[in-house]
Amino acid sequence: MENRICIIDDEEVVLDSCTLILEGSGYPIVTTTDGTRGLQLVQESQPDLVFVDLKMPGISGFEVLERIRAMDPNIVTIVITGFATVGSAVDAMKQGAYDFLPKPFTPDEFRLIVQRGFEKRRLVLEAIALRHEKELLREQFAAIISHEVRSPLAAVQQSLMALQMELEDRLDEDQKKRLQRLQVRIDDLLRLIHTWLRVMSVDESKLRETFRRISVATVVSKAVESVQPQAMRKDIEITTSVEPLSCAVTGDEGTLVETLVNLLVNAVKYSHTGSQVQVRAKEQPDNLVLSVADTGIGIPKEELPYIFEDFYAGKTGQMVEKSSGLGLAIARRIVQAHGGTITVDSEPGRGSTFTICLPALE
Amino acid sequence: MATPKKLLIIDDDPDFVDGIKTILRKAQYEVDVAYNPKDGFKALETGQYDLLLLDIMMGRGAEGIMVARKMRKDTRLREIPVLIITGIREQIAFLFPGEQVHPRFVAVDELVEKPIEPTLLLEKVEALLKEAKVKKAKAT
Repeated sequence: MENRICIIDDEEVVLDSCTLILEGSGYPIVTTTDGTRGLQLVQESQPDLVFVDLKMPGISGFEVLERIRAMDPNIVTIVITGFATVGSAVDAMKQGAYDFLPKPFTPDEFRLIVQRGFEKRRLVLEAIALRHEKELLREQFAAIISHEVRSPLAAVQQSLMALQMELEDRLDEDQKKRLQRLQVRIDDLLRLIHTWLRVMSVDESKLRETFRRISVATVVSKAVESVQPQAMRKDIEITTSVEPLSCAVTGDEGTLVETLVNLLVNAVKYSHTGSQVQVRAKEQPDNLVLSVADTGIGIPKEELPYIFEDFYAGKTGQMVEKSSGLGLAIARRIVQAHGGTITVDSEPGRGSTFTICLPALE
Repeated sequence: MATPKKLLIIDDDPDFVDGIKTILRKAQYEVDVAYNPKDGFKALETGQYDLLLLDIMMGRGAEGIMVARKMRKDTRLREIPVLIITGIREQIAFLFPGEQVHPRFVAVDELVEKPIEPTLLLEKVEALLKEAKVKKAKAT
């Protein structure tokens, strides 16, 4: 794809020299001395890079910049400015211009800034393409997994169940055990796929349709109840405090319970045997703060920025149990759908505290 | 002994069908199978079935739903209890975590997820047959 340039400057000599400098480079260039005409040109020629003089008669360079941004925020803009007005160039950059070109400039300076502008444009377009691809992959992946992978597994599992029933009195104990182990393995796999699908299919707008007023105390007690067996196995005590007991939020009970369960499962997983996990809910003027604190192994500082991302399960060296790396990603999506935030505070060797902030009831 | 109940399975996955068919036959049910919605609906119209086990995702999409819709329009067929066995529950379940999902396509129906535990399958089939019988007794 060839790179197009548009130059808008009221000084003809600037336009001429720019065109001359780039002659032979093969870049198509359109130029104009008028801001309004410039906007037309941008619309028609869809340039990658636009140079705009800040000081022009007629509509101002700032307005031109703003309208270009409204047309297509991904067009890279560079302002041309006199030496005395570098200050306004900085203002323009604060509003989204990528760089500035101070007058007078040498051919080399101009060529360099054009190269940098194109490079920026390339990166912008690449980022867009990648984001789009990621989104597409996410959607299609969910569909492919649910049909192409899950169905055969379900068929295998169903047949194993039937076989087990049919062969009840013909298999010896060892054979029965093996058949059972096969089923457990497939169950694990089905559960993993189920979790993946959950991450992919958390549709935030759909989720909001089911929002209603829910009791925080209920969410906490349901979540704690479902994690209790795992906690007991490691002799971990889960303490809860909800203040005030009557506090409520607007949301979806099922998914909020799921979020809290995910946090609690992690807390138990990464806690030392015999320790405590604290769940707290506290009502504040603007939001409701829910936190889960453990005194376990903690999270290294360099990993903190990634833990809410899909499939991130920590470095293998410190994994204590198998993990799909999705629990926190699901939690983050659900909390975001509720208009809230989820953050973590952690110190290796001391433990972690996960905090969910949800907007207070209207 | 009472005459065995007649069940029809409509599902396009032969391996899955073999699995549930074996379980149902072992429990003394008489089982017929149709491997696509078209044959399935024809079988429903011509045969006398006590219960239908219906898959949702068949062919190019949720074609099982079409079978249920057509059944609803037919005064005789809509009395047949339906056990919907589907792999898509994970998408439905997200909206109702932990809740029982009753599709209410026809008078008596219920939804379970693939794969289904043999005991659960037999329980559900039995319960649906019973519910349909009670309903029929009330109507007459």
